[in-house]
Amino acid sequence: MYDIVIRNGLVIDGEGGPGRDADVAITGGRIIAVGQALSRGRREIDAAGKVVAPGFIDPHTHFDAQLLWDGLAQPVLEHGVTCVIPGNCSLSLAPLRAADRPAVIGMFQQIEEMPPEAFTERFAKWTWEDFAGYCQQIGPGLGVNVAPLVGHSLIRLWVMGSDSQQRPATDTEIAAMQALLEECIGDGAIGLSTSFVDVDANGRPVPSRFADFRELDALCAVLGRAGGRMLQIVPEFYDVDLTVARIDQLADLSLRHGIPTTFSPVFDSRTTPEAAPRILARTEEQVARGARVWPQMQTRPIDISFSLLNPSLFLARLPNWWRLLRRPLAERQAALADPNVRADLIGDCGPDGGTAIFGGLLIRGGDRAPAAYVGRTLGEVAAERGEGAAEAVLNVSLENSLDVAFLAANGGHEDTGRIGPMLANPLVHIGASDGGAHLASFATYGDTGYLFSEFVRGSGHLSLEQAVKKITADPADIWGLSDRGRLKAGLAADVVVFDPQTIARDVERPVFDVPGDGMRYVRSAIGVQAVLVNGEVAYEDGAYTAARAGVICGLETA
Amino acid sequence: MSLSPQRRFVTPIAGESVEDLARRALPDQPATEAADAIRSWNLHVFAMRRPAGLLLCSDIVFVEPPRAAAAL
Repeated sequence: MYDIVIRNGLVIDGEGGPGRDADVAITGGRIIAVGQALSRGRREIDAAGKVVAPGFIDPHTHFDAQLLWDGLAQPVLEHGVTCVIPGNCSLSLAPLRAADRPAVIGMFQQIEEMPPEAFTERFAKWTWEDFAGYCQQIGPGLGVNVAPLVGHSLIRLWVMGSDSQQRPATDTEIAAMQALLEECIGDGAIGLSTSFVDVDANGRPVPSRFADFRELDALCAVLGRAGGRMLQIVPEFYDVDLTVARIDQLADLSLRHGIPTTFSPVFDSRTTPEAAPRILARTEEQVARGARVWPQMQTRPIDISFSLLNPSLFLARLPNWWRLLRRPLAERQAALADPNVRADLIGDCGPDGGTAIFGGLLIRGGDRAPAAYVGRTLGEVAAERGEGAAEAVLNVSLENSLDVAFLAANGGHEDTGRIGPMLANPLVHIGASDGGAHLASFATYGDTGYLFSEFVRGSGHLSLEQAVKKITADPADIWGLSDRGRLKAGLAADVVVFDPQTIARDVERPVFDVPGDGMRYVRSAIGVQAVLVNGEVAYEDGAYTAARAGVICGLETA
Repeated sequence: MSLSPQRRFVTPIAGESVEDLARRALPDQPATEAADAIRSWNLHVFAMRRPAGLLLCSDIVFVEPPRAAAAL
């Protein structure tokens, strides 16, 4: 008798072939058989009318901190994601000396919009320094599988201390970094991430950006010797020439060391419509040379929300606003009433008083948002109040204890007719969700549901089987997660059962579950019946179970 | 499939100034003119960077202007 049999479903095994009516039998955390009329299981799950697929893999996340207090990485698991890859963009939480924690927390705050309390309030017992210690800390409570990257900035900081943000490394330091990376891989890291674009809390480039190519090449040699581990980068994604140059660098590293590489994000944009096609064209040329370079593209449009309660990416280009939002709340409120500060803030927004920047925003809510304003554009409200747009943002916020949220909807990457063919392109790696980051700016959850609702049922750019393959077997192959990504006898039983007619992401909503009473936007799943992680039901019929069967995938492949 | 021509770039050498880099990358141009050209083609480094003037060894520094779309 099997442990579990999922019966009567349409099995889409991740390989891309047509779905077939079959049962899936699971015992001891493994898929034992996929076929018809299998014998009984101690537990039977009726999947009639549903798709039975491998668990989805999310390759670009920042769950490093959340996994310390939430081993389910909620709500990602309920969307069918059974494996997440944290540690992207040069940032991880190990190896990290105690004295350097504040600096790294500042980087997470600056780059990933995560409040410092998320790192400090829920885990007073921050005892680890090395990568093994971090994995041991999160390991016991995992409900989702984790395949962590180690961040280049952390490696550099560990070896060079404050000099990591001052200068290139010496030969001795590079050798020490190589040894440390090797150790991290042995302790569970599945690869290395680096950044060419990010800055720390003081606006200074993060440590990885002070590396010369010789250092990166030496670290990639370690990745190559370890069996061809992944190098992830975040390039200067705002400029296509720079991104193409990084593709060429990645291709050279890939060919020289026999490693896969990936970069994220790649956005489609109305203002630079030639960018994404050029990036894919260059990728195609490099892949034809034999390089493994994977552009990551998200499925969802760019929507950014903000209030004056928190720093926001949306305001990053307005220096006075950016500085103001980093001040303590009481100080910030007082400053907003200061005519000189207000003049500087409005001056940031240009001669139109902020109409171009703020006029099209929607007032979306917030506990104090006046009901008469919610759902209307800021331009309308500003006109009604006889104020400029920037002035209206300040006044409406100030009158309501800053707890008014504004939404910049469809800020790019929203043209389904253009994006659908790109997502279907075999060269494109679906990812870049940023799961667990940008907490008060947008929900980073539900991209998989959106893939099915928008690009399978909606536009039809991908078949059901193609879409499943894109987020299961493809990422498993790209990242070397050979035990996952397919419904095949012998592999780990990561399984999702979903309704192909309804699977989607729900509306974005605020929740207040971040340590320190922090807010984040989330989206619940629609149409997901059950999610199994290593053979245990982790989510079923709208509720999480007590199962905690997730593992550190890097330890399986080390 | 061969690689199509793309905008040429170099990466800075440790301790190199923009003038040094310009001399290395554009040896046939007058020094001041070359440095000014490098600055104008690389606003991501020379206009957007904080602290100003910081040249990183990981930087992509273009040594020619953007190519026309049709030429790419």
